[in-house]
Amino acid sequence: MRISRSLLLVAAGILLCSMAFAAEEIKVGSINDLTGATSDVGKDAALGVRECVTYINDTGGINGKKIKLLLYDYGYRVPEAITIYKRFRDYDKIAMLLQWGTGDTEALSPTVNKDKMVTISDSLSGHLCDPAKTPYNFIYSTDYSTNARAALTVWFEEVWKKSDKWKKARESGQKPKLVCSYMFASPYSSAPIKAIKDQAKLLGIEVGKDMDVPLTALDAKSQVLAAKDENATVMWHGNTTMSVATTIKDAYSLQLGVDHIINNWGFDQNLLKMTEKAGEGAIGAASCAFLGMDVPYMDKVMEYCKKVNPEVPIEKRDIRTVQGWLKVSMAAAALGIADKKGKLDGPAIKAALESFKDWYPFNTPNALGRPGTTITDKDHRPSPVSVLYTIKDGKIVFFHQINMKEKFPDKWESWLGW
Amino acid sequence: MELFMQLFVTGVMLGSIFALVALGWVLIYKCSGVLNLAMGSLTMIGGYVCLGLYERFVTFMPVNSAFLVALVCTLIIGMILGLLTERIFLRKMIGEPILAVIMVTVGLSFFFKGMVFIIWDTDTQVFLPRIFSIDPIVIGGIAIGQVYLWSFIASLILMVAFVAFFKYTRWGLSMQACADDEMAALSLGVSAKFVYALAWGIAFMAAGVGGTLLGNINGLNYSVSLLGLLVLPVVVFGGLNSVPGAIVGGITIGILQNLAGGYLDRFFPGGIKEVAPFIFMVVFLLFKPYGLWGWERIERV
Amino acid sequence: MSYLPCGTYFESYAKDQKWWRTPFIKGKMILLVILIIAFPFLVDPQWLSIVYTINYYILAALGVQLLIGYCGQITLGHAAFVAVGAYTSAYMVLFVPWPQSFVDAGVAYPLSMICAGILAGLWSVLFGLPSARVKGFYLIMTTMAAQWITVPLIITQYVSQIGGRGQSFSLPTGTIQIGPWAIESDLEIYYFSMVLVALCLLAMGNMLRSKLGRAWVAIRDNDIAAETMGVNIVVYKLLAFFVAGFFAGIAGSFYISTLFFVSPEHYEWFYSLLWVGIILIGGVGSIQGLVFGSAFVVLVFKALELMVLGVSDIVMVSYPSLGWVTTKIIFFKESAFGLAIIFFLIYEPNGLAYRYWQLKNYFNLWPFSYTGK
Repeated sequence: MRISRSLLLVAAGILLCSMAFAAEEIKVGSINDLTGATSDVGKDAALGVRECVTYINDTGGINGKKIKLLLYDYGYRVPEAITIYKRFRDYDKIAMLLQWGTGDTEALSPTVNKDKMVTISDSLSGHLCDPAKTPYNFIYSTDYSTNARAALTVWFEEVWKKSDKWKKARESGQKPKLVCSYMFASPYSSAPIKAIKDQAKLLGIEVGKDMDVPLTALDAKSQVLAAKDENATVMWHGNTTMSVATTIKDAYSLQLGVDHIINNWGFDQNLLKMTEKAGEGAIGAASCAFLGMDVPYMDKVMEYCKKVNPEVPIEKRDIRTVQGWLKVSMAAAALGIADKKGKLDGPAIKAALESFKDWYPFNTPNALGRPGTTITDKDHRPSPVSVLYTIKDGKIVFFHQINMKEKFPDKWESWLGW
Repeated sequence: MELFMQLFVTGVMLGSIFALVALGWVLIYKCSGVLNLAMGSLTMIGGYVCLGLYERFVTFMPVNSAFLVALVCTLIIGMILGLLTERIFLRKMIGEPILAVIMVTVGLSFFFKGMVFIIWDTDTQVFLPRIFSIDPIVIGGIAIGQVYLWSFIASLILMVAFVAFFKYTRWGLSMQACADDEMAALSLGVSAKFVYALAWGIAFMAAGVGGTLLGNINGLNYSVSLLGLLVLPVVVFGGLNSVPGAIVGGITIGILQNLAGGYLDRFFPGGIKEVAPFIFMVVFLLFKPYGLWGWERIERV
Repeated sequence: MSYLPCGTYFESYAKDQKWWRTPFIKGKMILLVILIIAFPFLVDPQWLSIVYTINYYILAALGVQLLIGYCGQITLGHAAFVAVGAYTSAYMVLFVPWPQSFVDAGVAYPLSMICAGILAGLWSVLFGLPSARVKGFYLIMTTMAAQWITVPLIITQYVSQIGGRGQSFSLPTGTIQIGPWAIESDLEIYYFSMVLVALCLLAMGNMLRSKLGRAWVAIRDNDIAAETMGVNIVVYKLLAFFVAGFFAGIAGSFYISTLFFVSPEHYEWFYSLLWVGIILIGGVGSIQGLVFGSAFVVLVFKALELMVLGVSDIVMVSYPSLGWVTTKIIFFKESAFGLAIIFFLIYEPNGLAYRYWQLKNYFNLWPFSYTGK
């Protein structure tokens, strides 16, 4: 009896607390994966989201109003994401939704577009960038397809044409060959494949057979051996860090001899730790600067890492935290614009996002290492600029930045949506 | 031919880890009849425990001895965890319909997953400093990663140890007796509760070592627990009740997976490597449901 | 089983076999129907989606209850059959060139639902074939293999490639139409689900009252004895798989109307296990058990969600530097879910239906309540 009474008091306390702070708040819902298949990167991103919200609330909020963040974990069980979205929409009445993976983003896309709820997702698929199909889906950094094309182009220009490794091949007139290693069945991994193959054709690179590597692969030797017959020169990795590390290590031990270009979710400090010297020279796309690099606002990121989540050692935090900051700063900026105009509904926030022109997080150029974002109502791709890093001497360093729109001005428009 | 040999050898190495995990599974089934679907979580726990201990020890010991000591401690902790699990959760389920017990193991897998995340977080963790060098050993044109070779050796040692345990020690013999005919064993003074607890303890140990080896191959995170499902084709092939069957089954499935991946992947738009063991399992079930060494059930009305 | 109130008697066999035998039960049922119809107007809109999720689980678990509870065949791969139903229905609605009259009359979706049921039933029979040879654990393995072969291999790699765009695609609004009603909003989905559940439970209940049901129960209790008494166990087992698959197909077909979206990720191994869990929690071998089990599981998820969001709220508002609590509470949610299942199975091995039955009997048998177990 005593136990249940105190439980009742606690429950009442919870209810009271949540009601007491209901005034003058903007509610933002966030669906993240902390316990599921993508939890190794998802947890870091969720922590980053919460820290950025705390920072924004500490520095004045949105025109004085605080953001109330409702963060929930759906464990990559997509139907749970749907249930939690319905709760966010009907009960909490959120102004905006922050999503995570391709699974939940695509599943909720019809519903979100029907409800006119603006959503910013970590699934940077090019398919979500066409306002004609998904007007309320937004992404916060360069999409997968543009990154893939950029990585291939930069490799071609900087490594193939200039390095000594391929000098003999170049002089003998050999054409470079691309092989894509990704999980065929995953929409996230397979999103940019068509685009990168098209880019290869554009640059005159031959394309070999694709390699299917599951996201949880422990061993990719059979796939690597099958690809060895192709005499590939460059390999694109479309998976997350675990399987990319496996493939790179297996390619190294089987002496495949290819160069590696990697998508942004496969390239981080963990890759470095897992592949060591096998990963030397790998080129990867990144949404922003890595944690600890010297760019504006990085000090704030580090400060809030220690402030909000002091028990997680700073060495374990990585670029995903910074990506969380990117997402929230973009959401907050749009909410601020819409709030100033007095309307905080879906179409108003959408219009606010579509008014971004050369926008930087916190209105500071090069904040968090992100190139300028421009979104229009015809094109939701935030930026034609891809930032590429490479592993050199056991460290991740900046490699190259390329503006795909400037390089291929006549093709940029036609690349929308795939 | 070189392709075949390479795939074969890798398959044997990887299969030895499957065999280790399957061994623990077969033990639980043999002694208490429980289909344990929490095997993946046990693997994960073992890996994380070893990692945690290793990181502690490596500060004052050279790398190799730190790892060995950590491994031994993992075995001990695994045994204790197994005994605790059996005592708290499964003791009460003795006598319940088998499906309920299977669901309890499913619930256990969620419980363990959550506990591991609370204690160790979800980031991919790597054994640093590296224990096994990244350069492969090349024997006759076949590249074998060092970590695979050592995993194979470790699995073999452990399997030999377990089989010897069953044949030559008193505890092992009482486990065999209980698995053979529980009533008779009970009437001879073998404590069934003790045998069940021991079975779980050994399963934890075996899975723990398997998890550690897997963690060395590619870092530890949640996806290590997905291996638990591969245990099932292994035991179907070898027979649910048979320990040598689990060993042979594990290695066979490892080889099968690699060969299927190497030769058949190109014919399927999504690759066949992951599903091959399950397809094989279904086909095998249609022709030889009791596995190679399993005991056939004779039912009487 | 449950007893009727003291003093009830029947004068004809037909009256004895009626669905609603006493006036009290009739009144209770009519009240229930009124409550169901009035429900959306009494509560917050978010409860509608919770209720139709419960209904979806009921439909999906119906097949599992049939196989495990009434026929004794353990199945752990049911999500595969639901997936088959969902994809069949989605493809039929999207890609079959219906004549305009069909589309106008809103016949496309109901037809696709029936086809989905049939196809899922046939697929289920395919994986039920081993039941003629194996039982117990080996049957569990084959049905598990059904899950692993169907969803990751066949659906993800082959079926979902039809129509391009990869393995998930959405149904444009307006494609789901039954007769003159378009199923669009939560309210419509709620009523649709209620009607479906009522029909399916009725169909199932009637099947169980008939010769089919008796044969299945005989097989469950002792199949060798049943065979000696002339029950053709292979035929009835396969029939059980077919009917279970049929209901699964209908469940899948219903599910696409809630989401306008199909993807293999919604039919994972976790859901197969969840539906078996629902059967066990609700009570094996009882139809009310289905309803209770589904409601329990969905409400457990809801309670966990409230706990996580509530605690995160308090922490972030009052103690911002305790951000780690919010992450740990999310991890704890996973453990709590596992613990909920474990403790329920340990302490209520007969399920919720048993408690409900005990409660009913207390009142029905009063003042002789002690005679009912």
